[in-house]
Amino acid sequence: MADLRPILLVEDNPRDLELTLAALAKCNLANEIVVTRDGAEALDYLHCRNGFAGRDPGDPAVVLLDLKLPKVDGLEVLEHVKHDPERRRIPVVMLTSSREERDLVRSYELGVNAFVVKPVNFNEFHEAIQDLGMFWAILNEPPPLPRRGS
Amino acid sequence: MTDDLDFCAREPIRIPGSIQPHGCILVVDPDDGRVLQASANAASFLGIPSEDWPAAVAALLAEDDMAEGHRPWTVAGQAFQVAVHRTAQGAIVEFEEAGGGPALSLDALHPRLRRFIDRIDPMVEIAEIAAATAVEVRALTGFNRVLVYRFDDDLHGTVVAEDGDGVLPSYLDLRFPASDIPAQARQLYLTNRLRIIPDAGYQPVPIEPAASPLDGAPLDLGACGLRSVSPVHLEYMRNMGTGASMSLSLVVDGRLWGLVSCHHADPRRIAPPIRAACDFLGRIVSHQIGARERSRMATRRIALKRIESGLLVELARAPSLPGGLFANAADWMRLTGAAGAAVLFEGEVVAAGQAPPADTIRRLAAWIRQEGRGPVFVTDQSGHDLVEMEPHAGTAAGIVAVSISGIHDDAMFWFRPEVVRTVQWAGDRRKAEPGSDGRIHPRHSFDQWRELLRGRALPWSEAEIESARDVRNAIVDFVLRRAEERAALTEELQRTNKELESFSYSVSHDLRAPFRHIVGYAELLRQKEAGLDEKSRHYIGSIVDSALSAGRLVDDLLRFSHLGRASLSMTRVDMTKLAAEVRRAVEHDEPGRAIEWRIGRLPPAWGDAGLLRQALLNLVGNAAKYSRARDPAVIEIDGRELGNEVEYSVRDNGVGFDMAYVGKLFGVFQRLHRAEEFEGTGIGLALAKRIVDRHGGRIDAEGTLDRGATFRFALPARGKEDGVGGP
Repeated sequence: MADLRPILLVEDNPRDLELTLAALAKCNLANEIVVTRDGAEALDYLHCRNGFAGRDPGDPAVVLLDLKLPKVDGLEVLEHVKHDPERRRIPVVMLTSSREERDLVRSYELGVNAFVVKPVNFNEFHEAIQDLGMFWAILNEPPPLPRRGS
Repeated sequence: MTDDLDFCAREPIRIPGSIQPHGCILVVDPDDGRVLQASANAASFLGIPSEDWPAAVAALLAEDDMAEGHRPWTVAGQAFQVAVHRTAQGAIVEFEEAGGGPALSLDALHPRLRRFIDRIDPMVEIAEIAAATAVEVRALTGFNRVLVYRFDDDLHGTVVAEDGDGVLPSYLDLRFPASDIPAQARQLYLTNRLRIIPDAGYQPVPIEPAASPLDGAPLDLGACGLRSVSPVHLEYMRNMGTGASMSLSLVVDGRLWGLVSCHHADPRRIAPPIRAACDFLGRIVSHQIGARERSRMATRRIALKRIESGLLVELARAPSLPGGLFANAADWMRLTGAAGAAVLFEGEVVAAGQAPPADTIRRLAAWIRQEGRGPVFVTDQSGHDLVEMEPHAGTAAGIVAVSISGIHDDAMFWFRPEVVRTVQWAGDRRKAEPGSDGRIHPRHSFDQWRELLRGRALPWSEAEIESARDVRNAIVDFVLRRAEERAALTEELQRTNKELESFSYSVSHDLRAPFRHIVGYAELLRQKEAGLDEKSRHYIGSIVDSALSAGRLVDDLLRFSHLGRASLSMTRVDMTKLAAEVRRAVEHDEPGRAIEWRIGRLPPAWGDAGLLRQALLNLVGNAAKYSRARDPAVIEIDGRELGNEVEYSVRDNGVGFDMAYVGKLFGVFQRLHRAEEFEGTGIGLALAKRIVDRHGGRIDAEGTLDRGATFRFALPARGKEDGVGGP
């Protein structure tokens, strides 16, 4: 079993955040869940800078990324991660309210690992989040930690 | 048809090298008065030896009078009529005897000519003027017969007036083929408006030396009245039984309108003053004819212009060009005096009156374009121009076509039917008459020969053609303006579409989220509060159901709006497989239902598999939903091939609907049942219809209240334009 790396949840909508956290709580995951409220903050976390300068190093097990975010939006965060040779292996799951196909297409073009349209039905939403959490946090064997200088 | 006098076209008629013997010529160097050339009869005609010639003409040439025409001149005590033509080859001096024929001075002729002008001035019809001219010229000259010819567009001449004393046969109304007057003779008729041959049996008098000492070329006698004429022409005259002839050119607007042709059985001289009077008369008549033609054309033009402006006003109001033309068919045809009209516009043919079939019109338009006959194509014998039109002579022997597009075959047409006419020719013009000497001789027979002219319509007048051209220009503007308006509209639509798109995007995003939240919090509440009473649980259930259906509505709406712009990915769709999938999906959504499925043979379709699945799913889902009260519910899915399309039907034995509302069935948010009876957003059928529409197909429904409903949709079979053949 992989070591318990945190799950990075990027979500600006407080209700979605609450419901997602509730769903994740149901899975009894031991992973720490780090929440950032916009894309810029997410990038700060990933780069261990600004507010996250002192955090324990290491990549999150998975990034659960909302598509629509203030400042830097989900697609930009995704693009940034997938274009960064040191971070592109981090699994990114796009969570979105949108059924817009072009967002899906764009996300896959950028190398998203999964794309989930949040179901309106809470039970389905619950299942989706649980599945995601279980799969990416526990079942998915992450790539070995790169040996980083300093 | 052989034009038996064609070879005349190659005959050097301006430089025959000889003159007629009723006069003589001297060619004088204007600088030194030297005589360069002379006709062989000059010495005897003038009665003085060649050394006295320069002195005889010196004073004449010294005169400042450059006027053409004859004047009296005395040489060695003898009176002559002389004319001088100054040419590059020297001054050609023509001498004729002063006497001969009825001698009248110009002064004496003047009152006559004035009376004639007064007589024809009020005449309206050209035919009247022509008749008066024939009478007057005969009275002036005393010829046995005077004819007035009029040339048509094919340059055939028709005798439109005649005056005679019965010595020579009447040629009135007869037609003379164009070949009787070769092209270069016509040209000479324009510059030299009066020609006379006093004796068809004359012996030509050679000019000596033959070549001009100034330029070494044969002497150009184009301006010279004594010029010897072609032997063929003399033979023609003799064949016609005429010993003398004179002709006057009638020239209207620089074009040879016709001739006044005078004939006499015996040789006949006409004195120069009479000839001058005739020449003057010919010019007057030409002007009068020109004025009549112009005024008639102007009248017609004004009438047509009035029709045109009325039509254009109507067209500007019309929703479409063909529609506007068709609604004003009478004016449309009157514009050119046609019996039928048609317009080919954006591939469609709209016709009025007598017009050939649409396919023929299309091919005609394509032909005109390919052959570069546009933008205005006019014919009065279409079968002659395009063999394919021959069978349509009955409606379209005459055609005016104007193209109204720079890129497409789009064009407007006017048609006139064939008018079978009998033409009386002066002699059978089909007969070539090669002589025993191997030369081609002019025809001998001037006996009347009737020809039935078929495949020809009444010719289009200049005014009518101009009217077609004018309306073309206006319509090209009209079409262009419409295209611009459409482009502006398209731009506007694109902008609106973009706005709608971003609207639907935010709806999808921002409207779905709150519903999700409502459902989520309600569920959390339900889970947290295990001990809720019945009523509270009902409330929570209602909150969840309402939010869920609102969320579904957003999803459906978004899907519906997507359909308008998403491009279809067309493939061959196995409808049997698709129906099986749809059946499984419906069974999954309606667990525990007793549904009797009857799925027939389903031919494959050509379309977007995903969308067709959606459409079928909506129809079958409806069938299952509305047959819920039946036991068993029966759902039939069937298909058949119908020529160019494939039709599918979905039938159920459910609650059906009242046919009175069939028109509302496919509208967005149209429901025929109360919401609490059957769930759904009311978009399903609209979505199905939109999908079928996008495929270029059709959809309809049939229902009986409480007896079930049948939905049919047909899709076009794979068209030939796909290049691979049918599915």
